[in-house]
This record gives sequence, structure tokens and C-alpha cells, in this order.
Amino acid sequence: MWDGLVIGGGLAGLIAGIRALERGKKILIVSEGVGSLAFAGGVLDFGRVRELRRLEKHPYAYVGEMAERAFSYFLQLNPAYTGTWGRRGSVLTPLGTLRETELLPRRLDASPLFKANKIVVAVPGGLKDFFPEIVKANLQKEFPSGNVRLKKLSVEEFADWRAAGKSIPGTVYAEFWGTERGNTALKRHICEIAGEADSEAIVFPGLPAIGCPEVDEVLAGISLPVVGMTSFPPSAIGLALYESLTRRVKALGGELLIGVGVERVEVESARARRAIVRSKGKETALTAETFVLATGGFLGRGLVATPDDVRETVFGLPLHVPPLRGGKDFLGEQPYARAGIEVDRHLRPCDPATGEVLLENVFAAGRILAHWDPWLEHCGGGVSLSSGLLAGELL
Amino acid sequence: MVRYSAQVVIIGGGATGVGILRDLSLRGISSILVEQGDLAHGTSSRFHGLLHSGARYAVKDPVSAAECIRENNILKQIAPECVAATGGWFVQLPGDEVDYAQAWLKGCERTGIPVHEVPLEEALKREPLLAKEALRVFEVPDAAVDGFKLVWENAKSARRCGGRYLTYHRVEAILREGEGVAGVRGENLLTGESFTVEAGMVVNATGAWADRLAASAGASLEVVRDKGILLAFNHRLFQRVINRLRPPGDGDIFVPHETITILGTTSEWVDTPSDNQPSDREVERMMTLGKALLPGIAEKRVIRAFAGVRPLHRSDSEWAEGSEGGRVEEGRGRAVSRTFALIDHEAEEGIKGFLSIVGGKFTTYRLMAEKASDWVAAKLANDVPCRTAAEPLQPELPAHLRRRARALLPCAAAEKTLQRLGRDAAAVLETIARDPDKGQLLCECEMVTVAEVEKTVADEDAHHLADVRRKTRLGMGTCQGAFCTYRALPLMWREGEKYDPLSGELIRFLNQRWKGIRPVLWGDQLRETELTRAIYAGLLDLREGGAAG
Ligand SMILES: Cc1cc2nc3c(=O)[nH]c(=O)nc-3n(C[C@H](O)[C@H](O)[C@H](O)COP(=O)(O)OP(=O)(O)OC[C@H]3O[C@@H](n4cnc5c(N)ncnc54)[C@H](O)[C@@H]3O)c2cc1C
Ligand SMILES: Cc1cc2nc3c(=O)[nH]c(=O)nc-3n(C[C@H](O)[C@H](O)[C@H](O)COP(=O)(O)OP(=O)(O)OC[C@H]3O[C@@H](n4cnc5c(N)ncnc54)[C@H](O)[C@@H]3O)c2cc1C
Repeated sequence: MWDGLVIGGGLAGLIAGIRALERGKKILIVSEGVGSLAFAGGVLDFGRVRELRRLEKHPYAYVGEMAERAFSYFLQLNPAYTGTWGRRGSVLTPLGTLRETELLPRRLDASPLFKANKIVVAVPGGLKDFFPEIVKANLQKEFPSGNVRLKKLSVEEFADWRAAGKSIPGTVYAEFWGTERGNTALKRHICEIAGEADSEAIVFPGLPAIGCPEVDEVLAGISLPVVGMTSFPPSAIGLALYESLTRRVKALGGELLIGVGVERVEVESARARRAIVRSKGKETALTAETFVLATGGFLGRGLVATPDDVRETVFGLPLHVPPLRGGKDFLGEQPYARAGIEVDRHLRPCDPATGEVLLENVFAAGRILAHWDPWLEHCGGGVSLSSGLLAGELL
Repeated sequence: MVRYSAQVVIIGGGATGVGILRDLSLRGISSILVEQGDLAHGTSSRFHGLLHSGARYAVKDPVSAAECIRENNILKQIAPECVAATGGWFVQLPGDEVDYAQAWLKGCERTGIPVHEVPLEEALKREPLLAKEALRVFEVPDAAVDGFKLVWENAKSARRCGGRYLTYHRVEAILREGEGVAGVRGENLLTGESFTVEAGMVVNATGAWADRLAASAGASLEVVRDKGILLAFNHRLFQRVINRLRPPGDGDIFVPHETITILGTTSEWVDTPSDNQPSDREVERMMTLGKALLPGIAEKRVIRAFAGVRPLHRSDSEWAEGSEGGRVEEGRGRAVSRTFALIDHEAEEGIKGFLSIVGGKFTTYRLMAEKASDWVAAKLANDVPCRTAAEPLQPELPAHLRRRARALLPCAAAEKTLQRLGRDAAAVLETIARDPDKGQLLCECEMVTVAEVEKTVADEDAHHLADVRRKTRLGMGTCQGAFCTYRALPLMWREGEKYDPLSGELIRFLNQRWKGIRPVLWGDQLRETELTRAIYAGLLDLREGGAAG
């Protein structure tokens, strides 16, 4: 018997679990997969919170002040991050263009580049999905007054990969820089660049930007700013964030069941009672006082669409479903993105038709909520964090 | 102003146009083809891909049926690399008219279409997804044809014997001189420059656009534009073409193409050839209709929906015949005959040297081209006989090329590369041999190597990311381009003069893919959409109407 059972261990579910654990609750997190952080670049966008709060039924309208609290909460949880409420920082996209965001790993902060006249881009040999020429051209466009050059680093360790015509995933490079040999190589390469006359800042893709003290130590010893980059999926930084959150759960005494899906939850008189999971062909019932539903949207499989219907996969809750067929511009307004669960101020699922609270002891958080679009409103991380934190307070 | 000249100018780079270009070139008649988009930009890449055995028309349209079976046999001989001889079944379901089956069997016999019945038990074993209620199953020599490839093979074959083609050139007017034509005038859509082709003969093979073009020369022509929609499924659901044994109707044919299956189609008259966007209602209806043959259809993943516009010729007599019967309202197009029409505008309006050719089917493109070319040759007093029925489209692949491909690439990737490129694979393979990096698969779904994309990008015939996509099938696999679109960027970049991948072009490419996905937004397709938007709008911060930032 748990105080709280969190279904879905993505950003929203993990934050809910961590907060509830801090409050002394006994918590179990059950998650089918590792969530979408592994794809994400590791920065957390909040978007225009004040404007979005005014939109009827937008998740920010429910979480209220919790957005700002979530912002500082995350900074305190994760000292590798930086950010100032109400202000935007800049990071580099995998293509070397600048983009704004609110919470970012310090290592990704691109602001030193604005002051540098000579920018060197380190090019680790064979790094997958990294295009030096494009990055160089984009940096040159973003910083017209600076001079940008590329510096190839050949890394012995990967000579065999290269000979076989294979490229090296960013996750593999990131891990390598943290090993003893990698660390030595990194130091040598960085010192060499720093020693060259025409370097004022170094852009370095594929660095483990968080959760790797060995690398931080090397970089601390360098007099030039070293700026990391967000990367194309799968992302070492996103994974590192995921790992640091799960470590936190365990350190607080929480339990995690990864790779296990909740098939359904038994409900009696508007209260969820027991979650049924199936593992190795056997059904097990997990009983808890309260539940968090953080199964993600269509990507996380919290929602599934058929040609004529959208289903919430755990409770079969009624949903807000806009006409699914898409808008004209792919990156423009897409109604599907706003499908999801409608909730009351305590994040409890409501019937979209009547507004009636359907489950007294279930709190929904993250991408599964209705009435928002992370990609248009640039608030994916912000909404998941704030609603996750609120759920963690309510558990 | 750029000037070209030839004996004949052909307008329209669909199957019909390239077929004529090849036929005339083989007869030694100097010809230029002018196409406003990429080759196969029109209906010839927006169709079902069924190489008809003729069985579908055996009852109502025996002339068509006889043409189909003849051409079906010829194409299997001359273009085996473009045809998958899957065979086809006609399946009778409960409720389908029993009398029709009898009439159909007789029709097939009369037109020489070989038919044999497949025992039910065996049929269900061979096609496990087929409706269990099936009553009778008959096998015919239907096949699947790769339209895009066939069009390009025709163009390449024509080029080998002197034929020329201009893509992204739109004809705006037909030049007149006295009683005859003197060529065409138009615009190069890539540069904005105008051009003329001087030629004593003009062949109008513009399909669904043919009436407009004829009108520009003062000639008249009635074209019925008959739109049909198609759904592409993620898997090879059936191993052969599956038809319903009943009078031809909507949503009653499945055609397997490599790893996907296409369900179609519908029939609705539209006003313009560019009306090729399926509506939600049409998609819904197609899913409902398809259920009869494939009961599990709702669980199958649709990867895109698209539509094409059939160019049908309407002469008064055919129209009168077509307007009888109950299907007139719902599917009027289907009552118009599908055999083609050659219109000699000298006989019609006294314009010498001007021929229009419309109607027909993809299956009969070669025959249509032969008839049009006979007409041209007669006017030019050229008596070289037509050779297209016997001359293979592609010279045979040398065995060493296949061995080389197998040595350098994983087996499946080697086959696919050879299929796509034919002899042109040699250069790609040499690049990979020199630089193994280039053998990496850029598109893991369709198994396209870096070297192949590089070659295509540099090709003088590729002008847009979309041309590269069609030629390499990049971004056409199940990931819908989420990963390979990004990975193709540096290759485009190198051709910096031609493409501007970071701003307009990349977004345009995503939007083009989107057109086909939009109407089938459910299941995994929707998941993939969320992921792709997360990557391009989130991670890369691309925004509609502008570059990153
Ligand atoms: C490509 C990509 C780029 C991104 N870029 C950004 C960015 O630039 N900025 C930003 O702020 N955010 C970004 N994000 C992150 C994103 O905004 C958040 O992670 C997202 O809002 C969703 O978090 P979530 O926890 O609600 O859902 P998810 O992360 O989807 O997690 C849901 C979890 O629930 C599990 N689950 C589902 N059903 C069940 C079940 N029945 N039983 C048990 N478990 C179940 C799933 O397996 C999954 O692990 C990006 C995400 C992606 C995919
Ligand atoms: C939904 C559907 C399914 C079908 N299924 C099958 C099938 O399974 N089997 C089969 O055999 N047939 C099928 N057909 C029919 C077949 O696709 C067409 O008959 C055939 O492709 C027509 O080829 P075409 O060359 O005549 O026309 P098109 O391919 O349309 O070629 C005409 C070309 O002319 C160009 N053009 C137009 N105006 C100009 C101008 N002013 N200047 C320059 N260029 C111009 C256009 O861009 C176009 O590329 C189907 C058709 C549809 C719509």
C-alpha cells in the first residue's frame, strides 16, 4: 500500500514523485518507458507564461503561481542548470542557430559567444548527426562580427568505427569524455585550442553538459568559455537529466518500476483503488491512496488515436478531442496537439461535457493535459514541470 | 530567351508524354519533351500502380480489357525492373451479384484474360488478412507497376537515342504559322526566363490539363477530370493485387508495392487538375469500403493519403452511353470509357501538325504512345516501324555490378539501390568503395546511402528537395522523414546554389510530406507527427514562415 502511485515516469511523473517523497510520502513510480526526455535537448522551455495563463483551460491557468515555484524548484534540484524567472537565455540548436529558452544547463549558455570575436568550433571526428559546415555557416550568420573556424579533433579511440564507415553517436562520445582516457584526451584537445592565438570561445558539441564532474573539472581549468550544444535525438543531455531525476527518486527512498505498464485501474465510487500491472504474463494489483496520471500524450502513449476516436489508455477517461485532421502548415497550429484530459484546479480529471470531477484521488500532469501545444507555445518543459510539481504537492 | 528546335515537341512529362518521346526517338525523329514540373509530376505519380490485366473491364469495356492484357504482357517483358508480377485476385463476397461473376468469367474468356479459380481454403491460407466470408476467388495476371520509375526509364531510354526533355518548363502558348503550328513558347519556372521550342509538330500529352492547352491554340477538346483518392498502408498487407468481384466501384482494390499497400480508389469529377487533396470524408469512406475485403483495416497504419486526377476524354457518343445506369451520380467518371482518344486538330479545326492525346490508363501508355507516334511518323513520311513493344527499356544489369553492390552494401540495401538506379548504381558504388563513410544509410527505412543521395542532389534533373525525395524515396518510409530529412541537410548544403535548406526549402519539404499525412492522422502516424514536430519546432526551433530563430 503506497501513499501515492505515479503512473508514467517522464518529466512530469518524476517531478511529482520527487516532490511527494520530499513531503515524506511513500511513493511508487511505474513507467512503461523512459519518457521523452531522452529525445529532448535538455533545456526546459517555459514560454510566455503570463499570456498563456490567460487562455481558458490552458494548464498554466490551473497551475497558477506554481509555474514560478516550479522554475526555482528545478534550479535548486539541479544546480547544473541556470535561468532567471522572466528572462530568456540562449542556447545553440544542433544546427548552430541560436534559440531562446528559460532553463538551461550552464554549460549550454551561449551568451559568452556574443562577446567573442573569434569562435572555434571543435569537431569531434565522426560525431553522428553533427554537420560542421552548416554549424559554421549558421554561427557566422548569428555572430556576424565574430570570426568562426572549425577545428577537427581526431580521437584514436574511435579509429575502428571510422575505418568501418560508422559514425559515433553523441551519447557514446559523451560517455567517453567522462572516462579516464577520454578525460585526458579532452584536456589535451581543449588546451591545444585554447593555446592557439585566434580563439576567444570554444563551441563544443557532444559534451556531457550535466552530471559529469570529471568533464566539469577539465573545463573549469580553461580560461576560455566552452559552450556546449543541444543535440539531435537521442540526446546525452536529456538522458543525463532523466538519470539525475531517477537517482533523486531513489535517494529519497522512492521506488521505481521501469518497463512495466499499468493496464488499468480499478475505480470505486469515483476513487481509484488498485492499479493492475502485468509483468512476465502475471497480473499484479498495486494499491494506493492517491494516483498521478502522467502517461504523456500521443508520444508517451497516454493517448491513442484510432480513425474515429481518441482513447486515454489507463482509465478510459473522457477527453477533450478537437477535430484531429491537421492544420495546413505542419509547424503551425495543429488541433491534435491540444487533445487531452481536462482537469479542475487540483488537476483532477473532469468530464469535458459537464465539468464534473470524475476521480477524486487522481491528479493528471504533463503532456496528457488538454488545451496546450508545447511546440507552438514553446512551453513543453514548463508545463510538465509545473503540473508535476503541483501533483507532487497534492499527492 | 532560350531557343530550342526539333521536329516534334511533346508537352507533358507523364507516362504518355515520355512514351511518345521514347517511341519517336527510337524511330530517329528528333523530339523535345516539355514538362512544367518534375517528370511524373501529374497523374502518373498519383495513381494506384496497378498494371491491369484487363479483368476489371472485362464486362463493361471489352476494348479496354483487350488493350490491357496485351500491354500487361508487353510491359512485363520490356520493363521487368518496373513491374512486380504479383498476380491478382478477384474476390466475391456475400451480397455481391452472383450473375456478375458469370458475365465476368465470360468477358475474360472473350478478351483472352487467363483466369483460374483458387480454392477458398488455399486462398485464405495464402492471404490470411482477407475477409473470411469470401465466397469465390479467381486469379488473373494483374501486377504492380512503379509509375515513377517507369516514367524515368522511358525518359532515360529516349535520351540514349537522342531524345531531349526539359523539366520545370511550362508551355504557355502554341505558336502558329499559317495553317499549322510552329512550336511552343513558355517559361522556365526555375529561372523565370522565357523559352521557345521551334517544331513543325506539336503533341499535346498534358492529361488532365489537355483542354486548357488545346484552347491556347484555339482548338477545343473535352476532358473530364475524374479525381480518385488513395490510401497507403505501412505494410504489405496482401501478397498480390486484391480486387472485388463486382461491377467496378469505389474502394475495391488493394495493390501491394514493396513494403506498403495502396487502397483505392474513388471517382468524382472536379474542375481543376490541381484538386488533388483528399478530404476527411473521402478518407473515412475509403476506410469503410476497404473493410469489406480487409476486416482488420482500422488497426492498420495508414502512412499517407493522396489523390490524382484521371484525364478522361469525353466524346458525345461515349457520354450518351455513360449516362445510363445507376452509378451516374456517385461515380460519373466511371461510366466514361477508359480507352483513349487521338485528336487530330487538322481534321477538327484545320490546325495542321497539332495532335492531342487523352484518356487511357497508365497500363496502356505504350500503346497510346505508339498510336500517337504512328500519326506523327506518317505526317513526316518516316516509315521506321515502332519498336517499343520489343525493345527492353533498360539494358540488362551486368552481373559484376550486382556482385559489387553485394560486396559493398548489406544485401537488402544492395538490391534496393540497384532497383532504383540500375546501371547508374556503378558510380555510387565506386564512391562507396573509395570512401566507406558514404555507404552509411541516410534513410534507414528505404535504405538509401549517403552516396546515392549525394549523386541525386548533384544531378542536373534535381531542382528541389522534393525531386530528391521522389528519386531516392528519402523520407517516404515509415519515419516519414523525421530523421532522414535532417540527415540529408548537409548534402543539400553542399549544393548551396541550388537549395536553401535552412529556410524555405526545409519547411516546404516538411509541408509536402504533411499534405499526405494530414488526412490520416491517427495511430502511429500521429505519434510520429508529435515526434517530428517536437524535433523541428522544438529542438531546431524552425518556424512557419521563416528561418530558425
Ligand atoms: C523530440 C523532443 C524534443 C523536446 N524538446 C523540448 C524542448 O526543446 N524544450 C522543452 O521544454 N521540452 C522539450 N521536450 C520535452 C517535453 O516537453 C516533455 O518531456 C513533455 O512535455 C512530456 O513530459 P511527460 O512527462 O508529460 O510525458 P512523457 O515524457 O511522454 O512520459 C510519459 C511516460 O509515461 C509512460 N507511460 C505511458 N503509458 C503508461 C502506462 N499505461 N503505464 C505506465 N507508464 C506509462 C511512458 O512510457 C513514458 O515513459 C521535448 C520532447 C521531445 C520528444
Ligand atoms: C486515383 C487514380 C488511380 C489510378 N490507377 C491506375 C492504375 O492502377 N492503373 C492504371 O493503369 N492507370 C491508373 N490510373 C490512370 C493513370 O494514372 C493515368 O491515366 C495516367 O497516369 C495518365 O498519364 P498522362 O501522361 O496522360 O498524364 P499525366 O501523368 O498527368 O501527365 C501530364 C503532364 O503534363 C504536364 N503539363 C500540363 N500542362 C502543362 C504545360 N502547360 N506545360 C508543361 N507541362 C504541362 C503535367 O505537369 C503532367 O506532368 C489512375 C488514375 C487515378 C487518378
